[in-house]
Amino acid sequence: MRPAGAGPGLPAGRDRDLDGLLSRVARGDESAFAALYDQISGPMYGLIRRVVRDPAQSEEVAQEVLVEVWRAATRFDPAKGSAVTWVMTIAHRRAVDRVRSATAAVERERRTSLLLTPTDEVADAVEAALERERVRRCLEGLTDLQRESITLAYYGGHSYREVAGLLGITLGTIKTRIRDGLIRLRDCMGVT
Amino acid sequence: MHVLTGAYAVDAIDDQAELRRFERHLRRCQQCAGEVRGMTETAARFGFAASQPAPPGLRDRVLESVAKTRQLPSAANRHRARRPARPSQMPRLGWVVAAVSLVLIFVLQIALLRAHDQLNQVRSRQAALTAVLAAPDARAVTAPTSAGGQATVVYSLRRHSLIVTLAQLPSPPAGKVYELWLLGPHQVRPAGLLPAGNRSRSAPVLVPGLISGDQLGLTVEPAGGTSRPTTTPILVLPLRG
Repeated sequence: MRPAGAGPGLPAGRDRDLDGLLSRVARGDESAFAALYDQISGPMYGLIRRVVRDPAQSEEVAQEVLVEVWRAATRFDPAKGSAVTWVMTIAHRRAVDRVRSATAAVERERRTSLLLTPTDEVADAVEAALERERVRRCLEGLTDLQRESITLAYYGGHSYREVAGLLGITLGTIKTRIRDGLIRLRDCMGVT
Repeated sequence: MHVLTGAYAVDAIDDQAELRRFERHLRRCQQCAGEVRGMTETAARFGFAASQPAPPGLRDRVLESVAKTRQLPSAANRHRARRPARPSQMPRLGWVVAAVSLVLIFVLQIALLRAHDQLNQVRSRQAALTAVLAAPDARAVTAPTSAGGQATVVYSLRRHSLIVTLAQLPSPPAGKVYELWLLGPHQVRPAGLLPAGNRSRSAPVLVPGLISGDQLGLTVEPAGGTSRPTTTPILVLPLRG
């Protein structure tokens, strides 16, 4: 077990719990991995599903990510951030890779449907209510443009160039809005 | 360059040359690296809000795959040199009390989180069941299985989910279980095991990931289930849209 307060920006016990599990996983402990799975699979799958949308493909990506977490746990460095962040970052990156390698036609179609469907239709019933409420509250503190830019980039898996095209705004403005927005979200969510 | 921290943290730089340039800059710019770290953590919390239960069957497949996967060699030889020397005298009482309290806090916190997680699981399962039942396109079908008993299925393609219960199904042979499948035109996906127990009526099983064209299948498999059906289905039920 790591001493309390080690590492910056770890707000609650849950994060540290996961850090401890991940360091056991790094030593090849399969039961620790199963416990890690139980805690992280929901948030991770939900995020992938949000970006990739197709359930069968999302499941494939989720499986890849989880096996990668096992394989690379030995390289996880708690000094650089929490285990949760590490896993979610891998998941997001893989989901985005999957979406970007899709054909241009499918991509176009997906983009249109993304703009037409309310963003929370599918997952609505099962989302983690507390975290969702907090994120929602923090999102409300952003300008419309900041909020849309971040949502399209993060949940939509779009590059900032695509986001600029979708919103009809210059590249320079989009880069700035994503950054300003994230800084405001960070301060609102109490990430240090 | 600096303004790209946000786009980088949400993986929104798709131009590879630009990405490499920014990562080079990041290695030299302490301030940018700190900013990226905070933003990445923020993005991860943002990701948590999309949480939904992973498909049943994924856990088993991942654990099976992990058991066959070799881990990368550790990159951290530097930790070896830093192992603290063994203390030469008894630790003082204050330290012992502090350590015990820390452990206690940690244990209590885990117990609390577990209880909270369980409550959330029950809630989200309830919400998911209601969402299917209340979906505008929900349909119900029943059909007998060839092993006896009857399956009742309520499904919604819009919600991509179905709920199945079985009545009067004989107990599986010793060492066997009933496993559900989504039989698509191109793919067969495991859809979870039927809970053992009351034979007059099984607890409802929620199966997510339903796509148009899927049929629901039920087979007898070795305990623990498999990733592909190994016996002839005792039930194949088309779910028309």
